[in-house]
Amino acid sequence: MSATDLLSILPLLIISGAAVIAMLLVAIKRNHRVMHAFTVLAFILAFLALFLQPGPLPYELRPLFVVDAFAMFNTGLILVAGLSVLFLSYSYFEQREERKEEYYILLLLATVGGIVLVVSQHFISLFLGLETMSISLYGLIAYLRARERSDEAGIKYLLLAALSSAFLLFGMALVYAESGRMDFTGIGLYLAGTATVPVSVVAGFGLMLIGIGFKLGIVPFHMWTPDIYEGSPLPVAAYIATVSKGSMLVLLMRFYRDINGYEYTILWWVIAIIAMASMFTGNWLALLQQNVKRLLAYSSIAHMGYILIAFLAGQEAGQEAVMFYLVAYVITSIGAFGVLALLSDKVRDAEELSDFKGLFWRQPWLAAIFTAMMLSLAGIPLTAGFIGKFYIVAAGVDAGLWLLLILLVVNSVIGLFYYVRVVAVMFQPLEAPQRKPLPFFGVFALSGLMVLLLWLGIYPSSLIAVIRDMMLTMG
Amino acid sequence: MGAAFYIAAAIAILSTAMVITRYNIMHALLYLIVSLLSVAVIFYIYGAPFMAALEVIIYAGAIMVLMIFFVMMLNLGQQSAGDERHWLTPRVWIGPALLCLFLLAELVYLIMQPPAPPAGEIVMVDPKAVGKSLFGPYILAVELAGMLLMAGIVGAYHLGRQKKKITHRFLERATQ
Repeated sequence: MSATDLLSILPLLIISGAAVIAMLLVAIKRNHRVMHAFTVLAFILAFLALFLQPGPLPYELRPLFVVDAFAMFNTGLILVAGLSVLFLSYSYFEQREERKEEYYILLLLATVGGIVLVVSQHFISLFLGLETMSISLYGLIAYLRARERSDEAGIKYLLLAALSSAFLLFGMALVYAESGRMDFTGIGLYLAGTATVPVSVVAGFGLMLIGIGFKLGIVPFHMWTPDIYEGSPLPVAAYIATVSKGSMLVLLMRFYRDINGYEYTILWWVIAIIAMASMFTGNWLALLQQNVKRLLAYSSIAHMGYILIAFLAGQEAGQEAVMFYLVAYVITSIGAFGVLALLSDKVRDAEELSDFKGLFWRQPWLAAIFTAMMLSLAGIPLTAGFIGKFYIVAAGVDAGLWLLLILLVVNSVIGLFYYVRVVAVMFQPLEAPQRKPLPFFGVFALSGLMVLLLWLGIYPSSLIAVIRDMMLTMG
Repeated sequence: MGAAFYIAAAIAILSTAMVITRYNIMHALLYLIVSLLSVAVIFYIYGAPFMAALEVIIYAGAIMVLMIFFVMMLNLGQQSAGDERHWLTPRVWIGPALLCLFLLAELVYLIMQPPAPPAGEIVMVDPKAVGKSLFGPYILAVELAGMLLMAGIVGAYHLGRQKKKITHRFLERATQ
C-alpha cells in the first residue's frame, strides 16, 4: 500500500476511521449532540476528500478496487444522501426513549459498505461491501425496539437478506468454478474467449441476479420492501431507499459493462420482464394504499422498474439516463421521507394518509416541500423527476424499446393518481390548525433538497454535463 | 478419490437435510456439526488441508460454543435439567455419531493412502500461500471484514441490551 493508494480511497478510510472513533466516543461519554456533530463532520470531511484525488483517473487498487470518475461521482452521491439523512435523524431520534448513539456508528458502517460496493471490481469486495451494509442495516431497521413493528421488520430483513446473500454467493462460486476469475474484467475476458457460455456460468449469473434483485427491491424479489419501510425508523427507510439501492445499482452497471452484458439477449429479456413486472406491481399495489410509508415503498419498486428501462436502453444515453434518474430519485426519496420524519411525534410516525389532512394549513412550508417531492415522483414538469423520465424516454427511443416505453407511459399515468391523491389530502380544510415547532436542521436540509430538485428540473444541463463527462472517462 | 468424494458429499447432504427437518434445536446442531465436518473432508480431498482444518476449528468450534451458551448461559431452570438428561439418550446421538464414524474411517483411509501425485487440476494450497495472499493483495479485504464484524457487534449489542416485552402483532391479535 503506497501513500497514493491510500489517498485514492481517502473517503472510505475517513468514514471507516470515524466509525471506530465514534465507538470510542460512546465509550467515553454518551452524548447525542456530540455524536451527531461528529458524524456530520466525518461525512463532510469524506466529501471534501473526494477532491483530493492524487493521480489520474481511473486509479486501480488491484485486485479489489477501482477509483474512476463513475465511482467518485457515486461516492459523492452516497455521502450527500447520508448527510441529508443525518440532518433529519437528530430531531427524530432525540424524541425517542432509546439509546441513540449506536445509530450513528451503524450508519457510518453502512456507508462504508455502500462506498465499497461503488468502488469494487471484484467478487470479494462486492460481497464484503454488501454484507457490511446488510449487517449494519439489520441493526438500523430494528433500532427502535420498543415499537411494535420494528422487530418484525428486522427479522424479515435478516432472513431475506441472508437468503439472498446465499444465492449471490452460490452464483459467484459457480462463475468462479468455471472461469477461474473473480475480478469483473477477468470474467469479461473469459466470456469473450468462450464460444458458448457453459450452463453453470449462466446459472451462476441467474443466481447472482437474485441476490442483486433483492437489494434493488424489484419484482419478484420485492416482498420485503413495504414491511421494512413501514417497520424501520424513517431516516433508516430513507437510507435504504437511496444508499442501499443506489450503490447496488451502480455495482450492477459496472459489472454489466465489464462482462459486456448487453451482448446476451437472454439476460436482456430477463431484465426487461423484471422491469415490466416491477412497474406494474409497484404502481398497482400503491394505488389504494392508505399508509404513506407503504405507498412510498411500492412507488420505489415502480421507480426501480423505470430505472431498469434506462439500463436496458444500454450504451451511453441509457447509462446517463440511469445516473440522472438515480440522482433525482435520491433527492426525492430523502425529501419525502424527511417530511414524514419531521411530522412524526414521540409516540408514532406520521404514516397514515389521515395524518396529512390539512397539512397545508398547519405547516405550509412542509406541505410545499412534500408537494414538490410527490410531483417529482409523478414526473410533473419543472421537477427533476420529469427530466429524469424524459431522459429515460429519450434513451429508450434511441434504442427502439417501444413496448417498454408504452408501458412506462401507462404506468406514469397510474402513478399520477396516487401521488396527486396525497397532495389533494394535504389541501383539505382543517378546523383547528395546530402548529408544531420544527427542528431547524431538518427544515434546512429539506429546503436544500427542494431547491436542488427544482434547480435540476429547470436547469438540468449542469448535472447532465457532469454525468456525460464521467461516462466518457468510464469508456 | 471419486468414491471418497461421493461418500463425503452424501453425508453432507444427508446431515444438512436432517438439520432442517429436526424439531429439537440440539439435534439440529449435532447434525450441523456433521455436515460441516463432511465439507471439511471434501476440502481435504481436493487439496486444501488448511481449509479443512479451518472449517473444523471455526465452524464446528463455533457451534460447540453456541451449544455451551445455549445450555449453560440461558439457564432455563428445572425443566431444562430434565431436557439435558433427555438429550443424552442414544436415540439422540446415535445418528450423528454414526455419520461421524463414517467420516473418520474415510479420513483415516485417505491418510493411509501412499502419497500420490495430485490428479488432474488439483493444486495443493498451503497455509503460507493463504497467509501471503491475505496480507498481500487482499489486505484491504481483511480490514473490511473487521468493519463487517464491528457492525455485527454494535448491532447485536444494541438489539440484545434491552429486555422489553415485545409481542408480534399477529400474536397480539390472537390474545385479545
